[in-house]
Formats: sequence, structure tokens, C-alpha cells
Amino acid sequence: MATTTNVFGAYNAHQDESKQAQWRADKWMIGGTLLMGTGVLGIFGLPLFFYGLWLQMQAAKAGLSVRPLIVTLIGYLVIIDSSLNSLGWAMDLFANHSLINRVLTSGWGAVFDGGYFWHYNELKMGPYTIGGAGAPGEKAWEISLILACFCPRLAAAIGLLQMKRWGQQWLIVTCWMGLIVWIGYNLNMTFYADVRYANITFPVWGWWIYDIFYITPFLALPYLHTVNREIFTD
Amino acid sequence: MKNTSENNLPVGTTEHFSNMHKWLQRGLFVCLVVLVLEASLSLPGLLIWFGWPTLTITEVCDELMKVRWSDDKAVCLVPHPLYGANEGEGRTNGPAATAQDEWGIQPRPLYKRINFRDLVKFRDDRLAREAAAATATQ
Repeated sequence: MATTTNVFGAYNAHQDESKQAQWRADKWMIGGTLLMGTGVLGIFGLPLFFYGLWLQMQAAKAGLSVRPLIVTLIGYLVIIDSSLNSLGWAMDLFANHSLINRVLTSGWGAVFDGGYFWHYNELKMGPYTIGGAGAPGEKAWEISLILACFCPRLAAAIGLLQMKRWGQQWLIVTCWMGLIVWIGYNLNMTFYADVRYANITFPVWGWWIYDIFYITPFLALPYLHTVNREIFTD
Repeated sequence: MKNTSENNLPVGTTEHFSNMHKWLQRGLFVCLVVLVLEASLSLPGLLIWFGWPTLTITEVCDELMKVRWSDDKAVCLVPHPLYGANEGEGRTNGPAATAQDEWGIQPRPLYKRINFRDLVKFRDDRLAREAAAATATQ
């Protein structure tokens, strides 16, 4: 009896230590991600994130039960990717007359994607000025993807980081949405290629070099489908 | 033997997919770092490209608007008046329209391309034009 108690006692202690180590690492990574999600402050968030990542790797080396590194990377990258997309598009939707938006968003448009430069802030819905990008279809993509793709994907990533089964499942669902996003969005740009790319600084190839790093869903899906799903709890 | 090697793999990764998971992890790491640096450096990078610090941020906004509507008179109002007319009012349509486009089902903008520090050059050219015009009218 005493031996059994000791065994469980050791197990519980290991679980507690693992949990604490994971949370300690996560605190740094969450802090870093809050900064990285703002875009411009990301450079200050990256070292905090790396420190948290290093803490997690040290805990794993010490034999504690922490998240697999790849799950941590997927979770936080999805949060950053969703935040940056949502932030940029929310600025274009709601803060389109602010100075920073007229320099950053429409300036980015002049260099990489004319959809954010051409007749910027002229879009209307009936008598109401909507402003922001006026390229055909762009506003519909912004609203639908923030609501139906990036917000659910962000929530799913939090569930994944908590090693919940619903997190894994919803990340699979929202990452598959990424297929429609990339094909639909790029075809829309292609059909209006003159609006998007005529007379801008780095047409087409510039957009691809800048945006290819948002390819997150296609790096997450092969893992999410091949990982032993028993590691995620119901 | 197989069990031994699987024990060295991360939890949830089987031997069969270990190589794929390793490369995915590398790709994810690269994406995360580049995405963050890119998002962080976009604003300062674009400002430098356009002409800051020679031009102030408001002047950059101003010059961008002049290019967009091909109109020397376009001004970047800071702050833009709440419920004010949009900046393209009268510049896109109407008798005094200045914006250059080939209109059609798929319009084609004909504004000037902005290369490195071009906004400084555009501003200097415009000031020279205005000075010449002022001299001519005297």
C-alpha cells in the first residue's frame, strides 16, 4: 500500500512539475505573442517567445511531460498569422482614414498590391462611405475571412496549445478553409490583375515573396492529420 | 528495436512520419520568424522606401495621395474630418477628374510607379514646377 502511494505520489509530483514548467514557458511565449501579434512591435516579442521556447525545450530535456515542440510552433504561429491578418484588415475596415493606415496599408499597396492603393478610401455602400480597399471583391474577403476563418482558427489554436481534442479538430477544419482562402483570394486577384498589379513597385513576385510566409495552414495540416490524436484530451 | 527508436521521437510522432514532422517543424519555425520580422519592419521599411526622414510621415501620406489621383492639389488631411468627403471626391469622376485610369470591366490604373525614394523626387519636381509657374505669372 505504501509503495502504491509512493508510486502515485511520484507520478503526481511529475505531473505537477510538468504543468508548472509548461506554464512558465507559456507565460513568456504568450507575452511574446501579444507583442508579435501587433505587427510593428513584433521584433521585441520575438526574444521573449524564444526564451519561452527554450524553457520548454529545457523542461523536455529534463524529462518533464511538456507539449511537443511542433504543436507549440503550430499553435503560436497560427495565432500570429491570424492576428496579423485580422489587424491589417480591421485597420482597412475601421481605421482606414488614420494616418498610419494611409501610410502603412495604402503605402504597402503602392509597393506590393495595387488593390490597397487604387482609389483607396472611395468604396461606398449605397450612400455610406466604407473606405479602405476598393478593389473588386476585396472587402468581401476581408469581412468573411476575419469572421469565418481567422477568429475560429485563433480560438482553435488556443485549444490546440491546451492539448484539447477540439483544438486539433477545429484547427483541421479552419486550416482546410485555408485552401479555399488561397485559391479563391488569388484567383480574385488574378481576374483583376490590372487593378492589383499595374504600375506598382513590385508586381506579382513581390506579393508572393511577402505573403508566402502566411502559408501556415499547409504546414499545419500534414502534421494534424498524421499525429497520434490520442495525445490530445477530450 | 522499433520501439526503442520510437521512444526517442516526440510524443505523437510515429517513426513513419518522423521525417515529415521534422521538416514541417523547420518550415513552421522559418515562417514564424520571417512573418514576425516582416510585420515588424514593414512600416519603417516602407517609410524609408518612400522618403522618410526627408519627408515627414504626413508628407509621405500627402505624396501618396498625389500619385493615387494624379493630382498635385490632393492633400492628406490629418486628422481626416469625421464624416468628411472621401479623398477621391471630384478626382475620380466629374469635369475636374484627375485620376488616370483605363476604365472598363477590368480597370487599369495609370498612376506613376513609386520606386526607391521617388516621393522625394516627385515633391521636388512639383515644387520646381510650382516655382516656375509662379515666375511665369509674375
